[in-house]
Amino acid sequence: MTYVLNRLLSVILTLFLITLVTFAITNILPGDVAMMIMGTQSNPEALAGLRETLGLNDPMLVQYGRWVGGMLTGEWGDSLIFKKPIAELLSQKIVASSIIVVMSMAIALGAAVPLGVWAAVHRDKWQDSVSSTTALLGVSLPDFFWGIVMILVFAKWLGWFPSSGFVDPSENFLLAVQHAFLPSLALGLGLMAHLTRMTRSTMTGILGQEFIRVARAKGLSEGTVVWSYGLRNAIGPVITIAGLQIGYLFGSIIVMESLFNYTGMGWLTYQALLNRDMPLIQATVFVIAAVVMLTNLLVDLLYLAIDPRIRLG
Amino acid sequence: MKRFLSPKGLVGIILVTLIALVGILAPLLIPPEAATAMDMTARLAPPSANHLLGTDQLGRDILIRVLLGSRLSLEIAVTAVMISIVIGLPLGMVSGYFGGRIDNVLMRLVDTLLAFPALLLALTISAVLGPNLQNTIIAIGVAFTPYLARIVRGEALRVAQMPYVEAARAAGTTDLFILSRHVLPNILPAIIVQATISLAFAILAEAGLSFLGLGTQPPAASWGLMIQASRDYLERAPWTALAPGAAVALTVLGLNMFGDVLRDILDPRSK
Repeated sequence: MTYVLNRLLSVILTLFLITLVTFAITNILPGDVAMMIMGTQSNPEALAGLRETLGLNDPMLVQYGRWVGGMLTGEWGDSLIFKKPIAELLSQKIVASSIIVVMSMAIALGAAVPLGVWAAVHRDKWQDSVSSTTALLGVSLPDFFWGIVMILVFAKWLGWFPSSGFVDPSENFLLAVQHAFLPSLALGLGLMAHLTRMTRSTMTGILGQEFIRVARAKGLSEGTVVWSYGLRNAIGPVITIAGLQIGYLFGSIIVMESLFNYTGMGWLTYQALLNRDMPLIQATVFVIAAVVMLTNLLVDLLYLAIDPRIRLG
Repeated sequence: MKRFLSPKGLVGIILVTLIALVGILAPLLIPPEAATAMDMTARLAPPSANHLLGTDQLGRDILIRVLLGSRLSLEIAVTAVMISIVIGLPLGMVSGYFGGRIDNVLMRLVDTLLAFPALLLALTISAVLGPNLQNTIIAIGVAFTPYLARIVRGEALRVAQMPYVEAARAAGTTDLFILSRHVLPNILPAIIVQATISLAFAILAEAGLSFLGLGTQPPAASWGLMIQASRDYLERAPWTALAPGAAVALTVLGLNMFGDVLRDILDPRSK
């Protein structure tokens, strides 16, 4: 319990630090929001006036306080390019991205765990080489390259999946999944590599242990030994790695959603960055970092639930 | 030594050597104008004797652009990783060696930065500073720093507890001397391994940034830019995407394999 409480306290502190970092990064810019609203050719007096109204002449600390205060009270401001409340934009796009995040993680785990177990069971045989080569190929190709290949093969040549766009799952669930499938697959391939390696190495360690020998000696089937006895003990570190990859995933969705024109968080972040929509940049960057941090916390707690040994420590 | 000659290790070394050679020699052997020379009669031409890997939408030879692109990719990756070492090494060493409050504060900051996906951090820095070659390097370098600092800190913490460091401290040696003469040489292997793997990630990051238009800018022969340009002609001319994609893949693959070999040689504990 103390552990959980400590973690929660550290979450609040980290969230605060995330706001500081976000604010700092977005304020190293030479231009400012007023310039972005009115353009570089605008009348200096009007520009000065707008700066005054937007409070850009206030000390940095005051501006920071106003930004954080606004977020705490739900006043996230408006996006400069979309001319819409940022909170509304975010809530829509987060739903869209969560589909991709969940699907790509499921694809990655669904492929990596069997592949890793397979390699561990047939250690140092050809199966092991096949598995490690596949894993290496997965990390070595940029995921947007996979994305392009998939557009070419599955969308253009075979015509099985749409090559771009987003469909709201509440309108048509099947169509929504179809639109999310190719970007998820491309992302999943990139994620798969580390997960396969991790599964292989923890599984190799577990399979060499005494209790596995005992299980075999008892006459349990090889399937039960590997999948039930072995994997249950090996899955913990794999889940930890999967949790850490959430961060990587949220970086990659920026590229992938832009490539597939899938209007989620990644796409929104990209539009914000491309158009230097400062309020939107701040909001998206903060939200992504916060989500990554909270996911990592969740994974830690999940790990705690799966593996009782940790609780004692 | 047996491991050193494993087929995977050998392939890694050959690939890295080959790519480094291309990166160094291509700009010396190919005149720079060749990269932007347009052959309007042969736009999006398939691979042929004239253009071994075909041409792009402006009739530029893809083989030449891919070869010249290696220099740009390597230059960006190497400089960016150097930046992350220059910032991350002292941070991590101080944090791990001194421990206590300094460590707490520094690592809290590093952990916060780690909550920002590296690519997001790099994209944001590049967008805010204005995308160009120099800012791409800065963006990737800064984005990778927290990862390096974390690893250096772990290593420095380990070395700081070694008996020889304790002995040096008891003998009244200054911290600066211990850090530079005892800690640094002993954490160097881990840093070299990490740097090699970071290089692979930096190549991918540069390609990603350029692909999104927030990295190197046209008409530079950058692999990421080439892949981006190919998007509109994918069906008609898939080679425009495949050639630079393969270049990225081979480079990253080589660096990853090379990194594994280095780890086995330099860091026997990881076995």
